[in-house]
Amino acid sequence: MPPQDKYRIALLSAYALALHAFESLIPMPIPWLRVGLANIITITTFILFGFRSAMMVTLIRVIIASLFSGSFLGPGFILSMGGGVSSILAMGFVLYLVPGLFGPVGLSLIGALSHNLSQLFLAYLLFIQKIEPVLLITPFLVLIGTITGMVNGLAADLLIKGLKNSQERIQNIP
Amino acid sequence: MSLRQTINSTTPADRILLVFLLLASLGGIVFIKDILPSSGGVSIEVQGKTTHRYLLDQDRTVRVESPYGHLTVEIRGRKARVIQASCLNKLCEHQGWITRGVIICLPARISVSVGRPEKSGDKEIDATTG
Repeated sequence: MPPQDKYRIALLSAYALALHAFESLIPMPIPWLRVGLANIITITTFILFGFRSAMMVTLIRVIIASLFSGSFLGPGFILSMGGGVSSILAMGFVLYLVPGLFGPVGLSLIGALSHNLSQLFLAYLLFIQKIEPVLLITPFLVLIGTITGMVNGLAADLLIKGLKNSQERIQNIP
Repeated sequence: MSLRQTINSTTPADRILLVFLLLASLGGIVFIKDILPSSGGVSIEVQGKTTHRYLLDQDRTVRVESPYGHLTVEIRGRKARVIQASCLNKLCEHQGWITRGVIICLPARISVSVGRPEKSGDKEIDATTG
């Protein structure tokens, strides 16, 4: 990996971690509910720099955030890791399969859906082991995930367009 | 680049996916309880002891005997009712269909309760009278 890629991944991971930390300051009605602001960085990375960079940024963000909060290898860590990795995999799969069909918002929605479903599946497999409560909460979580996914996707879209604009402006300076 | 422009630049597939997910999850919230097999059931007690247990989603008619009389209980369409009682005032018959709660026939000392099956530990008697 060339050094500028490493620097870029480090910088993007730092942004993601900062958003993650900032988000934990926002009070939420349900403790495990998160908007997933760090995913704005994930989607931006995915679209601008590709699958591998996005996966790296997600892994770094999840591991370091869990080290900061002391939940490394705990149940919350397993769920974050599973959700993060599966959402990148799903977005990568969809972009590989039908490139150009979905924009940042659609990819964000796909990522959010796969994030939710994989977390529910992991929670069922590891912690709850009863299908009924998991199925009961699934549509509720998917609804919240769709709303936050849309918000994050729009934010990422804005960020991507802003970045491209500024890049063009810099390049156009004689 | 404004938010409005960004919203306008979403692809049709993005919007279809968004609408589909919203509808599917909202529909799921509304209908999930009907789709799931309910753990609710009907239990019939004679003189404080549970003698019959049935699932609400299986239709049937049962006759329950006690030393003081008898009842005929009908379970149909996730509801239960008493269709025939041996007592005089027929209070339990008049109560009609219930989806949760209890029908009690005091003369025959039979109760028909509908709802989630309780764990045996949850049930405690506050007081008894001779």
